[in-house]
Formats: sequence, C-alpha cells, structure tokens
Amino acid sequence: MRENIAHLFGVTTENLRRLISIALEEGGEYADIFFEHTVINELSLRDDHVNKAGSHIDYGVGIRVVKGEETGYAYSEITTMAEMEKAARYAAKIAASKKSLALPLENRLMEGNDFYPIKKGWEEFGIREKLPLLELLNAKIHENDGRTSKVRAAINDSLSKILFYNSLGETYSDIRPLISVMASCTMEQNGRRESAGASRSFRAGFEILDESLMTELALSIVRKGAFLFDAKQPSGGEMPVVMGAGSSGILLHEAVGHAFEADFIRKKTSIFSDKMGRKICDGNINIVDDATLPANRGALNYDDEGVPGQKTYLVREGILNSFLHDRISAKHYGTAPTGNGRRESFRFMPIPRMRATYMESGNCTEEDIIRSVKHGIYANDFSNGQVQIGAGDFTFYVKSGYLIENGRLTQPIKDINIIGNGPQTLKEITMVGNNNIIDNSTWTCGKGQYCSVSCGMPTVLVKSLTVGGSV
Amino acid sequence: MLYGIDNNRNEIECARFVLDYLKRKGAQARITLNKGRINTFSVLNGKQDKLQMSNDRALNIQIYSRNRYGAFSTNRLEKNELEKFLDNAVYATSLVEEDDARTLPEEKLYYRGENPDLGQFDSSITAITAERKKEIAYEICSQMEGKSKYLVSAESEYNDYIDYQYIIDSQGFEADVIQSAFDVSAQCSVKENGDARYESYWFESSLHFKDLDYKECGKQALERGIEKFNPAKVKSGKYNMVVENCCASRMAAPVINSLSGALVQQRSSFLAESLGKKVFGKNVTFIDRPHRYGMAGSRYFDSDGVATKDLAFIENGVINNYFIDSYYSRKLKMDVTAESPSVPELICGEGTGTDIASVRDLVRFMNSGILVTGFNGGNYNGVTGDFSYGIEGFFFKGGEIIHPVREMNITGNVVSLWNNFTAAGKDPLKWAKWQIPSLAFENINFNGK
Repeated sequence: MRENIAHLFGVTTENLRRLISIALEEGGEYADIFFEHTVINELSLRDDHVNKAGSHIDYGVGIRVVKGEETGYAYSEITTMAEMEKAARYAAKIAASKKSLALPLENRLMEGNDFYPIKKGWEEFGIREKLPLLELLNAKIHENDGRTSKVRAAINDSLSKILFYNSLGETYSDIRPLISVMASCTMEQNGRRESAGASRSFRAGFEILDESLMTELALSIVRKGAFLFDAKQPSGGEMPVVMGAGSSGILLHEAVGHAFEADFIRKKTSIFSDKMGRKICDGNINIVDDATLPANRGALNYDDEGVPGQKTYLVREGILNSFLHDRISAKHYGTAPTGNGRRESFRFMPIPRMRATYMESGNCTEEDIIRSVKHGIYANDFSNGQVQIGAGDFTFYVKSGYLIENGRLTQPIKDINIIGNGPQTLKEITMVGNNNIIDNSTWTCGKGQYCSVSCGMPTVLVKSLTVGGSV
Repeated sequence: MLYGIDNNRNEIECARFVLDYLKRKGAQARITLNKGRINTFSVLNGKQDKLQMSNDRALNIQIYSRNRYGAFSTNRLEKNELEKFLDNAVYATSLVEEDDARTLPEEKLYYRGENPDLGQFDSSITAITAERKKEIAYEICSQMEGKSKYLVSAESEYNDYIDYQYIIDSQGFEADVIQSAFDVSAQCSVKENGDARYESYWFESSLHFKDLDYKECGKQALERGIEKFNPAKVKSGKYNMVVENCCASRMAAPVINSLSGALVQQRSSFLAESLGKKVFGKNVTFIDRPHRYGMAGSRYFDSDGVATKDLAFIENGVINNYFIDSYYSRKLKMDVTAESPSVPELICGEGTGTDIASVRDLVRFMNSGILVTGFNGGNYNGVTGDFSYGIEGFFFKGGEIIHPVREMNITGNVVSLWNNFTAAGKDPLKWAKWQIPSLAFENINFNGK
C-alpha cells in the first residue's frame, strides 16, 4: 500500500482489517472497501473569453459485502472509524448466517500495472497554463472558418486517488488521471446555422495538452461544421451501411459490449446468454475489451474490485470467447474475473462495465468496402447509442456521413438514427477493413452509473441496417 | 433525521462560515447546501439482491468577484479543509477573464415569501421500517414470479429519498426546501420462441408514502413484456403516431429545451429569434405552473433564489418566452423569466374531443398508425430541429392494436412534428415533473422495411 494514500484517508492497515471484519460479521462471504478522493478542475470559454473556473472535491469510502450473488452496500463521506464502522455494519446486513470468515494473516500488495503515462503531473499545473491553450483553441476555430459565430470550449481534468482492500487480503492504490478537452461551434451561412463539436480525452499528464492537440481539434470541429451545410437527411429504410474507422466502435459498444456484460448473462436476460463458445460472426472478426491501452480513456491499472487491468477477447475468430465479468459473475460461472468490475465512484457498487472496446483490423481496404456497395450509406461521426439487451435491438445516432451510390461517396448526410439487431448485425458484417482506429473522444457509458470508456473500429460493411430518413 | 434547519445545523453552519469567509476575502457568493439520503432494497427472482444506504452532503459555492466567476463544490466540510479549498477557489476565480454579466441577481427578483407548504415532504418517511420496504419489493416481484411460463427473470426495487437544500447568498437571500420521494420499479425479461428476450419495465413514484401505488407495478411490467412477442417491421411510410404518456416527454423535450436562454444566446437553438412568432400549430400551448401543490417539480424559487411564477411560454403555437436567468438576461438584454421550467404542462387547444382521455382513446381517435410505447436511442439537432429516434410500440388499425413493431425509426423536424400535432389525452403521469399527456400526431415518417 502506498502509505501516502492511506494517510490521505486517515487509515492504517489495522483499521482496514477491522472494517472488513465488521463487514463479514453477519456471514458475508466476501467484502471490500474502496476509498476515493477525486479532484475535478474545470476551465471554460464562451464568447471569446475564458470566463468560468471550477473545482470539485468528492471524497468518501464505499463498503461492499457479498453473500452468494447478493450485495450489501453502504458508503460514507466521513472517514472516521465510527462512521465507517456504521457503514460496514449496514452493508453486512445482506447476510444473516452469523458464520464469520477469518481474514488471511498476510496482505498482498498488488502493483506493477502502469497504463497512465504521466510526465507532467496535474497538481503542478493550473489555470495560468491551461488558459492560453483554450484561447488558442478558440482562435484556431475562428481562423479556420470565417462562418464561425460562437465557440464554446472547456478543459476538464480530474485526478482520482484510490485505496482498495478486500477480505482476500488484497490491496492496491491507484492514481487515475482523466483529461478532456471539448469544444463546439455555431457556424452561420446565408441565414442557416449549423453546430459541430469534438472532444479528446486521455488518462495522461499535462504534456498531452499542447498546441498540436488544439490545432487538430479545431480543424476537426470546423470541418464537421462546414460539412453539415451541404448535408441533409437521406431517404430511410433498410440498406447496407459502411461504418467508417474509429468512432464506429459505438456499434460494438451497443450491439455487442452491453449484451456481453455478465450480470445480464447471469440473469439470463441477454440475447447472448447461451451462446458461449458458439460461432456468432465471420471468422475474420476479433472483438476485444481492453484495459491496457496506454493513456486511453478506458485504461485501468486495476478495476474497482481489485482485479488487474487486462485485455479480454470477447470474440476470437468469430467465436464467442468471453463475457465481461466482475467477481460475482465470475464466481457464478467458475471462471476468473476479467477486470471489468467498475463503478462511477465510491457511491456505487461495482458491476460489469466495458473499458476500451474495439475490433481488430481485417484485410480489406476502405476503398474496396465502399466500392462493393451499390446503394447505401457511409457513417463516420456519431453522438450516442442505446441497446435493448434482451431483444438485441440497438441504435446509434449518426451526426454525419455520405450516401454511397454505385460504389462512390456522393451526397453528404446528417442527423439520422440507425437501428439494428445485435446478433443479426454481427452475422451481417461481411467485410472488415485493415485500418482499425481507437477513437479518443469523451465517450461515457451509462448503466445506472457513468463510466469513462472508449471504442474503436476498422471500416466495416454491414449488409443491412434500418436507416432513419425521409420516406 | 433530515428536516429543516434544526436538523441540519452543522452543515448550515458550514455554509454560513463559507459565506463569511468569502465576504472577508472581498467576494460575493452564493452557497448551496445539498443533503440527501437514499434507501434501496431490491429483489431478484424472489430473493433479496441488493441492500443499499446512501447519505450525501455537499456545498456548492459560486463566487462572484469583480465580474469574475467560479463554481466550486466539496463534500469535505472540516474547517481546515474548507479554508484551504476556499483560498484556492478565490485564487482560481481571480485568474479568469472579466464578464460583466456575472453578478448575483437583482434583489427585487428574490423570493421573499413565507414558503407555504407545497406538499412535497412526508414526515413519516423516517418511521417506515426496513421490513416494510422489503415487503413492498417482495410483493412487486411476486406479481411477476410464477405468473407466466414465459418469465425469464424478474426484478423489483424499492427506493425512498429525502432531499434537503439550503441556499444563502451575500445579498441576504436565505431559504431552504425539503422534499421526500418514494418509488418502486419492476423489470422483467420474457421469452417465447427464438433467442430474443423481451424486457419490460414499470415505475411508480410519489412524494408521500400513502400515495405510492405499487399494487400493479409488477403486473404492468409482466403484461407489457408479453405484449412484445412476435414483433414485425412495418413498411417505411407516413403514419399517424400516438405516443404513450410514459414516454411523451421525449417529444416535448426538443421544444422545451430549445427555449433555454443559454442556447438562444449561443445561437445554438432552432428557436432563437422566434420570440413572438407563431412556430407551432395553434393547438400547442405550454404553461409552466411552479406552485402546483404536491408536484415533484414545484418550487417557489430557483437555484439563484429568484421567485418563480406561472409562465405561458408557448401559447397557441406562438413563442411567448424563453427561459432566461439573471446571467442570460444581462447577456441578451432581456427580462428574467425563469432559469428553467418547473412543472410545465401541455395544454392541447382545439382538435381534441372532450371524450379523449387515455392512450387507448387516442388510438381509437386516430384509427390507424403506430403507437409508440418507448424509444430506443436517437437524438435531435438543437440548431436545426432535425430529429431521428428509434421506437418500440404497436401497429394499430381500425382503432385496434394489430401487432408489435421492431427496429423502426421516426425521422423529421421538430417544427413540422408539432405542426402535425393532432390531439392529446388527459393522462399525464401524476408523479412526473413535466406534465405531458399521451400525444397524437399525423403524417410522421416511419422507417422500417
């Protein structure tokens, strides 16, 4: 245990052992304790001025007790022993056998993973350093396109200090950085308005914020905005859809990822519940959920129940290879947890969640994929998605793309929802590009609680999806 | 116990300490204490699943210093921690650029009333035993368990909440408000043939325990799940659309949200420059009634302390008002109206017969079309009003439900949508902050097969 982090929460190893012992007093089979101290700093720009600063501290401890597949949970924002013991006793009530487990004599310190490279620590840099970068971003957006009438931009950075201990004697501490730069603009032309935005997010140090990032972000935003003046909603209906490389990973997140989360599998509510080991798509397809991508928004040294971050093949050569497990589901299936037990904060109990979910590259070129489509759409910018786990129906919202006519990109399109069925869509991915890109936008996944995630995808062809549009 | 100033003395003293400290530093400020408690008990397939207790309290601190602004929050309320935090906050605020619009509201706008009861707190909440809460969750689960051969999984949950808020600012505004809430939910998964498991969810809520209507919650979820069996795609085309009350606010949201002063000032709303203009059909009227007794969204003052009032923000299709708070009133040189709606209601003008009350009445009234009972993703473009949403629901003909639909989208523009608004029920959900009844529209683009 890093003693400085234990000191931050005012606890000793003896305190932690006592709290876990109390948590197990009613017969719980497993217990863990999760301390968190998060500081979020915000700086934002509107109307060409950096005119709002903010800082937010969130501090507390969550205590969980598991008995079978049942969970007791309580948290406290006050880390005196009296308050924490009260929380431990409440969580303990989930069990009622009075058969108390003994703790191991030795603790096991977990260390070694380091997926958040930091050269310049966030605590050493403040508003004075960030403000010129926001001004630069604003100036670049205006410079790039004279039609820009308004710019909104923000830099948010957070640093979470975590201390974890469980009834197996396992302990780790982690310092998790998360930086996001976001901007959007309104552009006006001949009485018409369009708005576009983009963001970048990393688990990295202050060195990630530099002129090149601001320049790249500004260009991306302005290109998106300018594109929209020529775009329109297309005719809708069933048609082939080419998903461009990068943020198309939202398809995997919605169509596959959620339905592979093993709490849904354990409850038999996912459409993939009885598909383990079966062929579910083309043999060229490999789908991964990965905590080990350095500096990635979905990276995790250890998950929120003490399992090391790792790379998990969900689909290998078209075969369903693994679900996304937390400790409870892993025990249910007699397998090892995959490091997917995550939580928004100490206020929430951990549940299976994605990290960075992507498809590995295939063999086709993007040009060949587009050329194979007679009439369809090409989608490459997305805002949000959703899935019905049991029926398998998923959707994602396309901000922009193109019509494909006779193998060529033609009319720009925008603002359409696409809907499909997960298992069916997987089967209908018939071409996989050789150009996988991990998208570094500020993807956030909601499942009763929020988690930072990311996604990636090579260009793929889906033979048929239902596309929104005029009729 | 969480009731009134006496029971929150320590945290309120913290808020006052923060205000005094900032005054001594030469800053104006507003301090908001939010304190809450949540109790949760959930059941999975007839067995207890989760037991959770949550207690939160945090101070939100808005600093206005020489036309500079910062917004801060912390849940570390120890004095030495607070002093360090406030010193950093004052320093951070001093580094941002000046903004003339960043000051506290004009004092004449503050709520200065006696805070008469809005019927939002049930003081019996602390007397409800853990056993009673468990009984309710088990009873809801039992309304599904063993009641259908198609059932795969049944979950139920009981939650109760106490939310207390205290606001104090350096112009002398000081007020507090407390609200309780009780809710129950039922969720089930049902399966007939094939791999698909159809999920269904039902939710009931109330501000008072005695009004919590949980007797049919599980039954509703189960019936709505089974109704989804054997869905079919309908051919793409223009159809009448009826939207059930449980999801009708999704149709109102692009209209109400786009009246935000922030979006208007940023030229990011399709309703910017629409003030005084007729944009929607003449049967479209939205009124905000913030003082309705016993409603979840009711309030006498907003988060700035500004008094709320009735506001007909859209009347007969004409945009009457934007939602303008103190900051955007200065930016836009417009009067303060309200920072956001409290209890907005849709009033349907001519076109709706007096005999139409429920969603079933609307289905009969529209004769044929698609009944939307839920949305699956989708979004809208706030600048243009273009939208596209995934839907679930039922195809109906001759006023009767024919079959469920699957994998379909609706696509169009919010302005034309609300010009095609035809009729409304009289059935807004009693617990909802937005009082939007079931709705009917004609000539809507549906994308299917």
